[in-house]
Amino acid sequence: MSRVPYHELKARERIAAICDRGSFNEILPPPERVMSVFLPELGIPVSFDDGLIIGRASLNGSPVYLAAQVGQFVGGSVGEVHSAKLVGLIESAARDKIPFVMLIESGGVRLHEGSSGEIGIAESMRAVFACRTLGVATIAVIGSDIGAYGGMGIFSACCGSRVMTEHGRLGVSGPIVIEKWMGKQAFDSSDRALIWKTSGGKTRYLLGDADVLVDDSTDAVRAGIISLLGQPAPVTLGSVSADQQRLEARLVQFGKTTNPDDIWTASGVTDIAAASLASGGEFANSYPKKSSAQ
Amino acid sequence: MEKFQKSFPSAPLAWPSGKTWSLAGVVGSANLEVLMEPGAAADSAEFDVQTSFPGYQDSWLAALSDFSTHYALGGTKVTIHDQGAAPVVITMRLRQALDQLIHP
Amino acid sequence: MSPILSQFFGDSAANLSVTNQILTGYASVGSTEVAVIGTVDGTYVNDAAALQLAAHVLDCVQSKPGLPIVMLVDSAGQEPNRTAEMLGLPVYFAHLLSCLQVARDAGHKLIAVATGKAIGGAFLCYGMFADSIYALDSAQLGLMPVEAMAAVTKIPVATLEELSKRMPALEFGAKPFALLGGVQEVWPADGALPDLLEKAIASATTEDNRALLGKERGGRTLAYDVRQRVLAESAK
Repeated sequence: MSRVPYHELKARERIAAICDRGSFNEILPPPERVMSVFLPELGIPVSFDDGLIIGRASLNGSPVYLAAQVGQFVGGSVGEVHSAKLVGLIESAARDKIPFVMLIESGGVRLHEGSSGEIGIAESMRAVFACRTLGVATIAVIGSDIGAYGGMGIFSACCGSRVMTEHGRLGVSGPIVIEKWMGKQAFDSSDRALIWKTSGGKTRYLLGDADVLVDDSTDAVRAGIISLLGQPAPVTLGSVSADQQRLEARLVQFGKTTNPDDIWTASGVTDIAAASLASGGEFANSYPKKSSAQ
Repeated sequence: MEKFQKSFPSAPLAWPSGKTWSLAGVVGSANLEVLMEPGAAADSAEFDVQTSFPGYQDSWLAALSDFSTHYALGGTKVTIHDQGAAPVVITMRLRQALDQLIHP
Repeated sequence: MSPILSQFFGDSAANLSVTNQILTGYASVGSTEVAVIGTVDGTYVNDAAALQLAAHVLDCVQSKPGLPIVMLVDSAGQEPNRTAEMLGLPVYFAHLLSCLQVARDAGHKLIAVATGKAIGGAFLCYGMFADSIYALDSAQLGLMPVEAMAAVTKIPVATLEELSKRMPALEFGAKPFALLGGVQEVWPADGALPDLLEKAIASATTEDNRALLGKERGGRTLAYDVRQRVLAESAK
């Protein structure tokens, strides 16, 4: 199981591979039938878990609250029940002072459920920051081909830390939307290399948006999560003031370019072609994080 | 959306103790999810199908009847959410769900 | 200067500044001094806008202890842009939210009012993070107008419009958004706005009551109960 690429696995398979064997206890499992009431009105089939599997597990013996999105189900998008399960899980993490880990695979709000998914994501953000204030670790794992976009992209960035693989993407507007808006000349959504250079794990890692960049394997993802369990990442005046300076500097340094290669070069990548082919782990080893944030 | 229920005779399945459900598949394009639970009459498999591709009931019933004949599924309630899976995929998911029950 | 600012802040609106359609400053609501951040004229937000808003939140935390922060929202959302995405737009938005959390933790009340457009990421990245959220009855809240939703979901406009009569989640506007619990209250655009805002500031708490509101008002019948069930199950 550890050799199958993480991005090819389904959510339940990822959970089984990442958690300590047999440790996952699902909360509101399929027989509970906690499902969407909106989708049937639109003639769309429901799913027993509404595309979000939640539960408690252990990782290397440490308890975690774990959520995993099902990308195949309406694009992993977030509706009323999906987000309510998520908020309940994050609040459980805050209550019990147990780390919250989420395997993200989502385009954002579920359009078919309109504003209810949007409000649900907003509630999830409040809950995540409540965890951070309480010193509870909140870890987003972004390694699927769908990535973390829209409201889920913002949510992922709200978590205290992020594990990414070279397959994962973190953004707000997706490639097709960008192409529609800017035109194909300005951004070709069929250019996969460009898309991944723009939003993918390697660029995010170089800029400091991903705390850990790992190979596309469940062993590596599991190790990446474990390395972050002890880092609650609270927000303080000191930390956000430093972030303000860092993000302003990033805007100044790269705000006029459209070419992600400029970021790579500025970060010390000399052979861009080779770096593009490297696995997440290889890339991170070649370009280790500096001790101060970049 | 099309919904229907149908039971078929099936050799009894001894549900492993401690197991109360198994799930296979995912609701997505050309796919389906299958939930198996105990609670049907011992010599009967009960199917509850919801599909977003109406008009294939005959094909469904044939596949479900076939499966009930070839595998011991008696005593099991099977609930299906389908988004246009082909018969071979339906059968595969039923087998996967059953497999998870028998060989966890 | 946008007339809405005088409506809320009277003469003190003159102390506010609008740069690149991003609003910052300090003003008064009735007799209550407040910090103000926001968007005007349906502008788009991007990385720079998020930093501009965040800078003022930080200024407030550092120099004006305990001042309530009023967040006005009139934004069409984020503009799809390859450079913005390359730079990490979600992180810029999350940074603004982080600054607001620091403010909250330091005792600043956060009140949002949707005055115009309050759509997508622009609303999520600050307004929807407030302790209490309000909207003018003329405000345009929700995901997107029904025509855009029809184009993306391939569900006909007529079907969506029919469904939205029973499913306020699909309807675009302040009142349906309130039914879902997304806003505490809808205010008449020509109402006594300073009074309403002062009361809102006084009554704000840090508890997120939106799911409960959605249940009480019938717009989201499942969210609150599902959340409570999760909490109960996880406690076992």
